[in-house]
Amino acid sequence: MKEYLLKRLLLTIPVLLGVSLLIFLVLHLAPGDPAAIMLGAEATKESIAQLHRDLGMDHPLPVQYLIWLRKVACLDFGRSFVLNRDVFPEIWLRFKATAILTAASLAVAVAIGVMAGIISAVRQNSIFDAVSMLCALAGVSMPVFFTGVVLIILLAMNLRWFPSAGMYSPVGGNIYDLLHHLVLPALTLGTSSAAILARMTRSSMLEVIRQDYIRTARAKGLAERTVIYIHALRNAAINIVTVLGMQIGYLLGGAILTETVFSWPGVGLMMVRAIQARDYPMVQGGVLFVAMVFVLVNLVVDITYAFLDPRIRYR
Amino acid sequence: MKKCSGLWIGMVLFFLVFVGMKSDAFATKDSLVVGLVAEPVSFDAPQVSDANTILVLKRIFEGLVDVKLGTYELEPSLAQSWDISNDGKTYTFYLRKNVLFHDGTPFNAEAVKYSIERQINPDHPQHKPGVYPYAKGFLGNVNSIDVVNESTVRFTLKSPLAPFLQYLTHSSLRIMSPSSLKKWGKDVAVNPAGTGPFKLKSREPGVRVVFERNEQYWGGAPKIKNLIYVPIIEAQARLSAIKTGEIDLTRDVPPDSFEMLRKDPKIDVLEAPSAGVWFVALNTQKSNPPFNNKLVRQAMNYAVNKEAIVRDILKGTAVVSYSPLSPVYGKYHLKDAKKYPYDPARAKELLKQAGYPNGFECKFIIPESGSGMQAPVEMATVIQADLAAVGIKAKIQTYEFGAWLKELREGHDMTEMSWSPSIGDPDHMVYMLLHSDRFPPGYNTGLYKNEKVDDLLYKARTTADEEKRIKFYLEAQQIIVEDAPWIFVDHGKQTVVKNKRVKNFILTPNFDFEFKNVYLE
Repeated sequence: MKEYLLKRLLLTIPVLLGVSLLIFLVLHLAPGDPAAIMLGAEATKESIAQLHRDLGMDHPLPVQYLIWLRKVACLDFGRSFVLNRDVFPEIWLRFKATAILTAASLAVAVAIGVMAGIISAVRQNSIFDAVSMLCALAGVSMPVFFTGVVLIILLAMNLRWFPSAGMYSPVGGNIYDLLHHLVLPALTLGTSSAAILARMTRSSMLEVIRQDYIRTARAKGLAERTVIYIHALRNAAINIVTVLGMQIGYLLGGAILTETVFSWPGVGLMMVRAIQARDYPMVQGGVLFVAMVFVLVNLVVDITYAFLDPRIRYR
Repeated sequence: MKKCSGLWIGMVLFFLVFVGMKSDAFATKDSLVVGLVAEPVSFDAPQVSDANTILVLKRIFEGLVDVKLGTYELEPSLAQSWDISNDGKTYTFYLRKNVLFHDGTPFNAEAVKYSIERQINPDHPQHKPGVYPYAKGFLGNVNSIDVVNESTVRFTLKSPLAPFLQYLTHSSLRIMSPSSLKKWGKDVAVNPAGTGPFKLKSREPGVRVVFERNEQYWGGAPKIKNLIYVPIIEAQARLSAIKTGEIDLTRDVPPDSFEMLRKDPKIDVLEAPSAGVWFVALNTQKSNPPFNNKLVRQAMNYAVNKEAIVRDILKGTAVVSYSPLSPVYGKYHLKDAKKYPYDPARAKELLKQAGYPNGFECKFIIPESGSGMQAPVEMATVIQADLAAVGIKAKIQTYEFGAWLKELREGHDMTEMSWSPSIGDPDHMVYMLLHSDRFPPGYNTGLYKNEKVDDLLYKARTTADEEKRIKFYLEAQQIIVEDAPWIFVDHGKQTVVKNKRVKNFILTPNFDFEFKNVYLE
C-alpha cells in the first residue's frame, strides 16, 4: 500500500508539469497584455516596456516558464500583478470558500442524487422513477448560470428566503449566516451533479439488484432495507464513488460559474478576475493549485475502493 | 424506506429553518452597505487604476485640493489655500494644521513631499515596490517638490500646465502617511493610513471591506459609524440585494429594471449627467481609406440613429452626444455644435460625393463588456444595421476586454470606445482622446491628427486664463465635430440606486461616492 501511494504521488509530478505547461502556454499566447491593461489610458510605449521589465516579461517565453517553474518548485507562486501580493496566501484564503461550496454541493448532490437513484432502481418503471429521471435529465442539461439566476429571481428576489450574493451578510456573519448564504449556490451547483449521480446510482443499483447474492439475501429472510442498503448499495458504491470523484473535479470547475453568479469569494471568482486582468502569476498559481487538489482527490477515491471492496489490492 | 424518508424530512426541516431566518439582520442603524461591481484590489493609492477601487480609496485618502461635492469646481482640502506664480510654474500650498493620519502621525509638508516623490523619484526608498500608472501623466511635468516650512510646500513645474490643480484631486496623488509607507513597504496595499473621514477597520477578501469613521477627522467626524463595501458581481444579484435591503446603495443594475425600482416605495433611483462619452472611433489615418475621407465619416454620423439607441437600448440612461465634452463641462461644452441628425438620405448623398455610392465593407471591433461601455454588443448591432441601410457593411468582431485593448493598438477600421474622465479638467478628455500626442498605446484610437486642433489643445493646457481656455476648447471642438473622427453617440448618465433610508447622498460628475455628510434614517 505504501509503495502504491508513493508511486501515485510521484506520478502526480508529470501530470502537474503538463498542467503547468499547458496553462502557461494558453495564457501567454492569448491576446492581451497585462502591462497595457494595468497602465490603461496613461500607457506610453516606454512605460509599457518598463513594466514588462519589472514584471519579468522581457525574457523569451521558455525562459519565463523555467523561471516560474523553479520558483514553484520552492513553493513560491510569485506575486500577483494586480494585487501586488503573494499569490499563494491569496489562493489559500479563497480556496477555503471554494472548498466549503464544493463540499456543500457534494452533500446536496449525494443526498438528492444517490437517494433518487436508489429509489428509482428499487421501484423501477414506477411514476417516481419516471419523474426523477426526467428531473435528472433536466438537471444535467441546465447550465449553472441559468439555474443560479432562476433561483436568485425566485428564492431571493421574490420570496426573499435567501440572500442572493456573498458568503456572509455585510454586517455580522456567524455559522448560521454562512449556511444561509450557502443554500442557493450549493443547490445550484449540487443539483447538476445530483442529476448525474442519480442516473449512475440507478443503473449500477439495477445491475446489482438482479444478481444471485441479492436473491439469496432476500431468501434468507433479511429485511428489504438491509438487502438494499447493506448488500446492494455497497457493491454498487464502487461505480458511484468513481463518478463522485469525477464530480468533485466537475464541482471545482463549475464553482467558477457559480461563484460568479453568487459573488461567492472562492478561487473561481478570483480566477475570472485574474484572467480578465491577465494576472499571469495568479492564474497560473490558481490553476496549478486546483489541479493539485483534483489529483489528490482522485488518489483518495482510488484508495477508497480498497475499503469498499476488500478484493481490491494495490501494488 | 423508513431511513430514507427520515433523511428527506430532515432536509426539508433544514430548509425551513433557514427560510425562517429572514434576512432582516442586515440593516443595522449606523452601518451603510455599498454594493460594488467588483472587490477593491489594493489600498496603495498611486498604484490603483481600477475605477471600482478608486471609489473606495478616496474615503481613506485626501488630496491637497478636492472638487466641491456635485461639481468639478475646485475647493481646498488638505491645502487650505494656494498661490500660483505669474509664469504658471510655481504652486505654493499652505497646508491645514493639526491634521493627523490614521496611524496617529502628523500631516505636514514633509509628508506631502515624501508621498508624492515616491512616484517620480526612482531613488526614493519606497519607489521600488510598485507600478505607478499615472505618474508620468500627472507628475511628469513636476520639476521639484520643496518643503518651505512645516505647513507650506512648493511644487515647481517644468512648464505651465493649467490642469495641474485638477490632477491633484485624482486618487493617485492623494497623500499617504510616510510612516505607514516605511513600516509596511509593499504591504501598505492592505494597511492604508490617510487623513480621510473613514479608516480601514477590516478586510475580508471577496467578502467585504469595512471602514469605520475617523473620529479625529479635521472636517468633523462623519455621521455614519461603519461604511461597508461588498462585491456583488452579477447585475441581477445586485438588483436583488438592493430590493431586499441587503445593500443600501449601488450602481450598474440592469437598465430595464429602473421602472420597477422607481415604483418601489423603499428605493430611490438617482440620476445625474456625467462627464463620460461613448463613441465609435474611426481610423482617420491616411493609409486607411475610406475612413481618411471626411465626407465618409460625416456620412456615418448621419447614418446612425443615436436617439433610438438612447431611447430603446439605454432606456434613457444617456443623452445624445454632439461633441466630445458633455454638458457637465459648463462653459467648455459646445452648445451650438454642428449636429448630425439621423438622416440616411443625407448620408447616402455624402457617400456618393466621396466616391462610394455603393458603400463599402469594413471591420468593426468591439469589447464584449467593460467599465463605461454601456451595452457594447447591442449598440454595435444597431449601429451595424443603420450603416447597412446606407450601404456600409460593417463586420462586427467581438473581443474579450483585454484582447480588444490589444486589437485597438494594432490598428482597426472602427471601434467602440468610452471614456469616463477621472478628473474634471476638459484637458483630461479632449487632449487624451484627440491630440496626436496620444496615439496608441494612448487612447486617441482613431489616430486623429489635425495640426490646428493639436495647437489649440496644447495652448489650452498651458494657459492659466480661463476665458482664453474656454475659447480654445470651443474652437477645437468645432473643428473636431466638422472633421468627425468619431461617430458621436451619447453621454451616459450615471444612475445610482439607493435605499430611502440613506439621506443627503449627492452624485458627483466624476462618478465618486462621497459619504462625509451622509446619514441614515
